[in-house]
Amino acid sequence: MKAANRCQFFQHADAGRQTGNPVADIDKVTLDICKDALIAVGNEVFHAFARTSMSPIIYETLDYASGIADAEGNLLTQGNGACGFIGLISPLIKELISMHGIENMHPGDVFIINDPYIGGGSHLSDIGMAMPVFYGDRLIAFVGNKAHWGDIGGMAPGSFTTDSTEVFQEGLCFSGLKLVEKGKLNPQLAGIIKSNTRFPEAAHGDMWGQIASLRTGERRLNELADKYGVETLLLSMKRLLDQGEQLARERLKSFPKGTWEAEEFMDDDGYGNPVNIKVKVTITDDEFIADFSGSSPQVKSPINTGSSSLEAAVKVVYMSILNPELDVNDGVFRPMKVISEPGSVLECERPAPTSCYFESMIYATDTVWHALAPAFPEALGAGHMLSVCSVVMSGQHHLNDQQFLIVEPTGGGWGASLGKDGEVGQFCVGDGETYNVPVEMAERRYGIMIDEYSLNTDGAGSGQFRGGSGAVRIYRAMADGQLFTASFGRNKFPAWGLAGGADGSYNYFEIFRADGTKEGPFGIVARVVLNKGDYVRMVTCTGGGYGNALLRPVSAVISDVKNGYITLEQAETDYGVILDDELNFVEASAARIQAQAEQNTV
Amino acid sequence: MTRVATDIGGTFTDLVALDGNGKLITLKSHTTPPNFENGVLNVIEESGLPANEIEMFLHGTTTIINALTERSGAKTALITTKGFRDILEIARCNRPDLFNLVFAKPRPFVPRYLRLEVTERVATDGSIVTELVEDDVLQCVEALKKEGVESIAICFINSYINDKHEMRALEIVKAAWPEVFVTASAEVTREWREYERTSTVVLNSYVMPIASSYLDRLDAGLQADGIFGRKYVMQSNGGSTTFELARRTPINLLESGPVAGVLGSAILGGMIGEENIISMDIGGTTAKCSLIDKGQANITTEYRIERTERYAGYPVMVPVIDIVEIGNGGGSIAHVDAAGSLRVGPNSAGAKPGPVAYGLGGTEPTTTDACLVTGRLSGEYFDNPVDLDLIRAAIEEKIAKPLGISCEQAALDIIRVAESNMVNALKLISVRRGYDPREFVMVAHGGGGPMHSAALARDLMAHRVIVPNSAAVFSAWGMLMTDIRHDWIRTHICPLETTPAAEINAIWSELKTKADERMHAEGLGDNEIQYQAVVDMRYQGQEHTVPVMTVDNWEDDTGLGLVESFHQRHEHFYTFRLDGTPVEIVNFHLIALGILDKPELAKIPVLEGEEITPIGERKVLYEDGIWRDTPVYFRPDLKAGFSAAGPLLVDEKTATTVVLPGQELMVDEYGNLIIETGVKRHESSK
Repeated sequence: MKAANRCQFFQHADAGRQTGNPVADIDKVTLDICKDALIAVGNEVFHAFARTSMSPIIYETLDYASGIADAEGNLLTQGNGACGFIGLISPLIKELISMHGIENMHPGDVFIINDPYIGGGSHLSDIGMAMPVFYGDRLIAFVGNKAHWGDIGGMAPGSFTTDSTEVFQEGLCFSGLKLVEKGKLNPQLAGIIKSNTRFPEAAHGDMWGQIASLRTGERRLNELADKYGVETLLLSMKRLLDQGEQLARERLKSFPKGTWEAEEFMDDDGYGNPVNIKVKVTITDDEFIADFSGSSPQVKSPINTGSSSLEAAVKVVYMSILNPELDVNDGVFRPMKVISEPGSVLECERPAPTSCYFESMIYATDTVWHALAPAFPEALGAGHMLSVCSVVMSGQHHLNDQQFLIVEPTGGGWGASLGKDGEVGQFCVGDGETYNVPVEMAERRYGIMIDEYSLNTDGAGSGQFRGGSGAVRIYRAMADGQLFTASFGRNKFPAWGLAGGADGSYNYFEIFRADGTKEGPFGIVARVVLNKGDYVRMVTCTGGGYGNALLRPVSAVISDVKNGYITLEQAETDYGVILDDELNFVEASAARIQAQAEQNTV
Repeated sequence: MTRVATDIGGTFTDLVALDGNGKLITLKSHTTPPNFENGVLNVIEESGLPANEIEMFLHGTTTIINALTERSGAKTALITTKGFRDILEIARCNRPDLFNLVFAKPRPFVPRYLRLEVTERVATDGSIVTELVEDDVLQCVEALKKEGVESIAICFINSYINDKHEMRALEIVKAAWPEVFVTASAEVTREWREYERTSTVVLNSYVMPIASSYLDRLDAGLQADGIFGRKYVMQSNGGSTTFELARRTPINLLESGPVAGVLGSAILGGMIGEENIISMDIGGTTAKCSLIDKGQANITTEYRIERTERYAGYPVMVPVIDIVEIGNGGGSIAHVDAAGSLRVGPNSAGAKPGPVAYGLGGTEPTTTDACLVTGRLSGEYFDNPVDLDLIRAAIEEKIAKPLGISCEQAALDIIRVAESNMVNALKLISVRRGYDPREFVMVAHGGGGPMHSAALARDLMAHRVIVPNSAAVFSAWGMLMTDIRHDWIRTHICPLETTPAAEINAIWSELKTKADERMHAEGLGDNEIQYQAVVDMRYQGQEHTVPVMTVDNWEDDTGLGLVESFHQRHEHFYTFRLDGTPVEIVNFHLIALGILDKPELAKIPVLEGEEITPIGERKVLYEDGIWRDTPVYFRPDLKAGFSAAGPLLVDEKTATTVVLPGQELMVDEYGNLIIETGVKRHESSK
């Protein structure tokens, strides 16, 4: 049957030639069909891993990515759970190619890599793996993936922490080693992993989950080569990259041209010193350049980013203005360039700690976003909660005495945009198809009770379009000696408003002791001890507003008050809408009347 | 005695009936929104079936899904645990549209001011932390009366493990406000995940008044017409229930039509000795496929309405037959995208204007148009005269020119891309879940199933296609063959190997008590009820589960005996096993079936040496680029035992079956068309 199939396609190719079709030997539709099948394989490999993972950070948070690259390491298709992993698979594969040389790669090999300072690096917790795919003895592609493991050793449970000062405290580092050689697991390496993690079963399960999903990719690519012929498959890969590039270049041509700048300050370096992120974005007919020169040097706390993750940070905004529905591949990114300075917080060097690399990485995204928002109002709204607001919590479960580990992001408010209020209780831009852990699962699995999970209706972010509310989450320790670590960035500088909209609010958390005393508010802590009955109240910010609040329709303001997103007082002070206790409209403030009048004359 | 099934679709309401002699009657009539019951009563009247002979009436309806997608349900409120009223709005915090930074997440069906809280709390082990403050519930009722609410949903944290507070709150609401519609989540599902459960009970309450009034009107209409037989409605789990019970939990009726087609495929398979089946239903706008493994359809509770790749949609955590649906049907529009690639779907020309062929002003070429140009379809069965030149011009302009190919090649390519999309969907339900398609046969139904399935099965490597006798109204046929079915799923996490059988049997017996009660309410006697038990299991630490069949009465060693089955199933689905890692049970799933006696199907006349001649010949363009003169048979002419070699076409009024070169057609005793695809059959290794 296979032979018959291929025979038909060859006949097709002949038909193409006879009609003088300028397309090479194989007709375009066959290439497209093959290309779609390739993308379908990418999806399969992505989903297969989530379903077998042992770590909630992978199966609920989908803090991982997987992709397929061509024989040179160019990304063909990528499945992302976390938006911030965009395009990280191909630099990882290219790093392995230059490190080992393809002549030293064999069918069945699997490499492991998590070095933050080289290709595809983020932080040590994200374990990258890649496998060369051979058709017979010919290298035709690579499959790769990258996933956040719950624990890979280091100074703190969950490995990533907020008080490390050098990378050696953050866990095991693999700078591109052969984990599986010709199909056989390297027992020495597996042994090192096993002896150096606090949760060896989960690490073992995730390691095999990652390997299995790579092998699925390898098998599926071979099936495609069987079905369509290996030349067709390779040509379809090329077509995919060329089409991506073509679409990107066409869009780029239609963009406004110029240079946009923005500078933001991260809260601090953990020792009270300000950290700035600065960007100059230049768009020309055929280039998109983000230049971060002038950003702060690398710092002592673990908020430093390597250059691969910085590039990913820019890719997010680049995709959003280009066309969010485009398939992600390296062709699309060909016109994009990122410039940064070695030794800076955005291109850090060994041994700078990178546990919380996402703080500076997402600030880089936010700064590019901020710079371009006025020029791309249909694609970019006001500032959002920004930080992952990561929580790492460990201890003993009160019901079964087992050790538990929470590693999770916290949702918050997004900014409003032209024509739309901001979204409520969403994870930050660096996450994506990321799921919160349900209260009922969290209470079952972890030694905590959740007293509240609700919206933070502080009413900040007023505007013609209102910023979305953040969230409030209360975790109560159910046993003594639990350790709480959190990194809530954007705790000093609020989510920015846009086009006359007000700023949103801040992320923070407070600790309430069982005896009634309160500690905080905090932005960042490491391993605070919680005893039975103590609780942490985590509050994430409301996003920035868009447009003048005095222009928001009265009916929308009434609905906001009725639903408790804003108070009666805020209706008056921020929106100039005076209501009685039954929420009937009484009158508009003088400022509102004036703003409306000005609007009408415009 | 006659039994009748009716299935409401977007355009047509289908009827399939079996009279006392086993004779099959099929009929289509127009759907009549907004009073859908009229279309049902019309089609019964048009069938000419004597009302007093109808002993059983089965029904599939789109009323519920329409009420949800059109947002035409009731003004609904939510009563929940203090601290958690925003769960419904926060949802799961996910953003499937990764790079769209101005995305909009799903808006809750209950606005914030109608989400009220009461003081109560149950812990994760089921113990009561804070007693329910009953006065809080009464205050909610007062507030909601003032707001003019029509329906109420109740969902408390951890009620999956202990529903005492929820059921008490339900009683209080019912007593204080007897006229209001109200559901507690425990009545709908006992699975964990509070957002999904809240969403499910909210959607149930949202559609309850509409479902109730619809079923009342239909019931009254049937009675007025003198139909007093037993009346059932089809549920998404592939079984039916009485009108009475359907009113309580109408959310179970969501996918009643599509699942009946899958169920029909399973039953047809049973009749002809095939237990591994892929059901392929190709309609006007979508293709729906589903896999039946050893006679069992897969059931999922991860269903979401309105979910797309870029939109999270709304979860409905009730058992639904697992169907993968893609936007590729006869009316799917073909276009060349910005990068110069040919695409088919997901946009559809719908019923109006429809494909260019309908002559209703459609200008976008569709799959149906491409089938006409390549000779697969004949224009003579359309209601209108088909203008082939108009179709060719549309394909020429929209597809052929931009791609620089001939019109015929473009038409062929539209079919190839559409079929490739469908094959990718078919792989999703088969190869990617560890099934070998060579062990499966494809049952092709819907208007377009017979047209494409020979090619799909060949590309998927399935060895045989069955085109049932009533392919175009197959969902209604499936309903006719249904059993009564209810599912109880209970989340209760415990280690597989070490949990005492007594603890496990306590859960089974609690579920069986509930099941017995429900089945008796269905009017069934004990000897008519069958049980199936399934446990959803996982490796400790994992999240997603794998279902394994078991028994509902465990011995001391039953758990141990399941360990190996679990490892095997895990390896089957996910390619690896973790020997030595502890296994735990997450859900107990009891399926109760009320077996209804099945009608005997009439057989068609057997070929006795006479020749069956084609009614004509059409030129058909095949995938190899060659036009072949292809004989056309008329399906009503065919007799049991007839066989012929492809290429050939079988026309009937509502569908055309394509048999490709190198394939074989046979007709079985029930009039099913059987196509051998040329792929060698693999026997299952088990």
